[in-house]
Amino acid sequence: MLEGRDWNRLVINRKETTGDEAVIGHTQIRKGGIAKVMGTAKFGADVDLPGQLYGAVLHSPHAHACILSIDTEQARALPGVRAVVIGSDFPTLYGSFIADQPVVAQEKVRYQGEPVAAVAADTEEIAHEAVRLIRVEYEPLPVINDLAESMKNEVLIHEDWSRYDCSSACFPIQGTNIGDQYHLKKGDPDIGFAEADEIVESEFTCGMLQHTTIETHTATAEANPITGDIHIWSPSQSPFSIRGLLAKTFHVPLEKVRLTVTEIGGGFGGKYEARCEPLAIALSLKANGRPVKLTYRRDEEFAATVCRSPVHMHIKTGVKKDGTITAQKVNIEWDAGAYVTTNPRVDYNAGFAANGPYKIPHAQVDGYVYMTNKTLGTAYRGFGVTEVATAHERQMDLIAEKLGMDPLELRLKNVLCNGDTGITGEIMHTMAVKECLQAAADNIGWKDLPLHWIDEEGNLCGKGIACFNKLTGTPSTTSVLVKMNENGSLYIMSASTEMGQGVTTTLPQIAAQALGMDLEKISMAPIDTAITPFDKTTTSSRSTFHSGNAVLEACDDIKTQLCRLAALKFKVDETDVKYTSDGYITCRSDESKKIHINDVGKSGILHEQAPVAALGKYGTSDIFDPPPVDGRQSKRPTVMWMHGAQAAIVAVNPKTGRVQVKKVGAAHDVGKAINPTGCLQQIEGSIIMGLGHALMEEMIYENGNLRNGNMVDYKVPTFMDADVEMKITLVEQAHPEGPYGVKGIGEPGLAPTAAAMVNAVCNACEANFTSIPIKPEHVLFRKEKAHAPQI
Amino acid sequence: MQNITIHTIVNNELYIRTIPVNMTLLQFLREDLHLTGTKEGCDEGECGACTVLVDGHPMNSCLVLAAEMDGKHVLTVEGLAEDGRLHPLQEAFLEVGAVQCGYCTPGMLLSGIAMLNLYPHPTREQIRKEMEGNICRCTGYERIADAILLASERLAGETEAH
Repeated sequence: MLEGRDWNRLVINRKETTGDEAVIGHTQIRKGGIAKVMGTAKFGADVDLPGQLYGAVLHSPHAHACILSIDTEQARALPGVRAVVIGSDFPTLYGSFIADQPVVAQEKVRYQGEPVAAVAADTEEIAHEAVRLIRVEYEPLPVINDLAESMKNEVLIHEDWSRYDCSSACFPIQGTNIGDQYHLKKGDPDIGFAEADEIVESEFTCGMLQHTTIETHTATAEANPITGDIHIWSPSQSPFSIRGLLAKTFHVPLEKVRLTVTEIGGGFGGKYEARCEPLAIALSLKANGRPVKLTYRRDEEFAATVCRSPVHMHIKTGVKKDGTITAQKVNIEWDAGAYVTTNPRVDYNAGFAANGPYKIPHAQVDGYVYMTNKTLGTAYRGFGVTEVATAHERQMDLIAEKLGMDPLELRLKNVLCNGDTGITGEIMHTMAVKECLQAAADNIGWKDLPLHWIDEEGNLCGKGIACFNKLTGTPSTTSVLVKMNENGSLYIMSASTEMGQGVTTTLPQIAAQALGMDLEKISMAPIDTAITPFDKTTTSSRSTFHSGNAVLEACDDIKTQLCRLAALKFKVDETDVKYTSDGYITCRSDESKKIHINDVGKSGILHEQAPVAALGKYGTSDIFDPPPVDGRQSKRPTVMWMHGAQAAIVAVNPKTGRVQVKKVGAAHDVGKAINPTGCLQQIEGSIIMGLGHALMEEMIYENGNLRNGNMVDYKVPTFMDADVEMKITLVEQAHPEGPYGVKGIGEPGLAPTAAAMVNAVCNACEANFTSIPIKPEHVLFRKEKAHAPQI
Repeated sequence: MQNITIHTIVNNELYIRTIPVNMTLLQFLREDLHLTGTKEGCDEGECGACTVLVDGHPMNSCLVLAAEMDGKHVLTVEGLAEDGRLHPLQEAFLEVGAVQCGYCTPGMLLSGIAMLNLYPHPTREQIRKEMEGNICRCTGYERIADAILLASERLAGETEAH
């Protein structure tokens, strides 16, 4: 292995771990990688079934309108058309928090791109031709394009929230455009503000982003209209949550819905939502059960799937002259789009993270999800944590500036450490934010650099730093099945989906480590909800932690079963056989009798015996202290807090306004790096993704019309933008409940990136940018002139 | 739609097919030949996921008509491994961790091979410029450049050995 190549940019800072393990802690080549480089890995659109029809969707050109009539006659008459679906065919509503969304629009459209009709035909070409032949008469309604319009409540996007089936985790306000709200209150902010020497207030806005996975949404469905059996093949991030949603939507028992997960060409939260699945099912039901494949084109991906909601935040902080924070109030307003989707979870997770990883005795957070006539906001790699981190970290820099303190020093003074009281009143443990901040700063040489300087080419340079904290969704449950094949190899069956983050490598590593077994002998089984044991979701950076724990439990059982079989072979009592940490099944009374786990297949102990298979389970309901809705105070709101820090150096060309990110130093507490290169992949990828968020990416809506729904006009970072020197430290502060100390790293890599870059740009320009992305035109032509005289 | 018959060599195998004149090379590969390793990402030449080599030149197969492939050689990701061995660039992608979700990987590999043909010993700057048309959302690109550099070392070693 080429570990040496990584060590140039990687440092592991061990707090409570060792590097002594045989399999974990060492870089391993990704499982399933060979199929990906050979092109044989089957992604969503690669599924082909005999007799398959092709779906196409008519999307609303209006952002808000009543549907007066739909004429599908001509479409139905087109040769090769097998089914046409309109809203009245499926008078059902769906949504994981509140069932507010139709499969196909009923009477009203609420965003440009909303499905109005769908067609299944013999070929894709015929299906699209048929869509063009559908005539719809609309009566346009006033469009709510932004937060300000939404807040007026003059036009209600959903007239009556009480009409919908609403879960206990969603709090819409009747008679308003508010689809959800979140409130946290710790102590008494008024007392805290009264104790302060200075009050600092700031606003920050994050733009609307598309996940822009290179694979678009797609689903193939075979749905039997008589039996109600539904089989879906799709690149679904969270097959069991989508299964539940689809069963409810189509009014069939849960077990009738079977979801086979294909390879996933990128997720980032975007493939958590059911998008093509309900439409493909509806078409298949209408086509008498023939399979239907529906793959969104890129323009449909932009207009009709999901996005990261734009968000506006206001922060007020009370602080002593020495930098001690006495109180903080954060107000968060999500511009959430036309349907609620997963926004309540974004609101919730962001709410807990909104004050940052700081000791704040008096705090308040108020979060509101406002509906607008735009495409649907949802989870985006961190459930709102990245957005609030950008706001609270800008605020920290403004406080530092006001007090004349170094930004790093201010953070270190306030940062949460073990034993401190967190934002919910919880006594914090396994905290290493301080170490992360110091390491991230060291990785760019923070202490030897001024806040801003001019380089030899005349660029305005600056440094910036940011940190964050993020919880994982709790409670949640998972289960895995580990089964031994006749030759002694293992299959792990887990519904933790692989979308590039590497869970199908870390879980086998954990099993190999636990059993003392060769990693090559352990494979991941494909995922199918009819076969694979239950797992709540693949989100929230939870998989290696939760499924890893389940794998460990299953491996313990495997050991017991193997000892029993070996006892039969050794002709001794079961209690006389032990399983050693290096993988030997050994007779205690006669140590010459032993079998290594790698040799179990040929040892004969499996022959004609009850097969070795074990279920491993893990759940967090027992440790969870549910945070009450009034104030969200809790002794244990989450099983795992994640945290980290990043520092950036940028160079701004004062003539062109172009920002170049020169260097990023990152430090993340991963608890224990199971696959160090896997951790680095998450962080490196996040840094470049975050660069896009900070400087380039933005979906632009005008009067409900998406102006840049394509990859030409919506700019994501390319190879040319990625000329960034990176130095990354993995801090290992072991989590007592994580498998081998693991914490999550899928989302955390992104959380402080944009914040660190924004702070660096602000320092470079001696200006206070209050929104992202910061594009060249913002640098050159901001309303409030930059302080740096060169611009 | 009018049809046309083409003789084209894909991954060193001759195919004679009658196809609609408006069929793209991407559709031809995926739907007619069932070579689904070539991916569709945007259908507008922006993402590079559908990159294949036509007579050695990288092309976005979503922007080229299959009809133009008459008499041409097409190389797709399925044609890279030979004699039961991965291409050195495929190996390098795995070893340095240049693959995550894997959806951009086929296009990256083909663009990478085309650039190694052009610059057997590329600099990072050359790699960035030549590979700019291939978008990856997972890796942050650095490891893809690492993989190309590693493969270039190995390919140079092989040439010397011969």
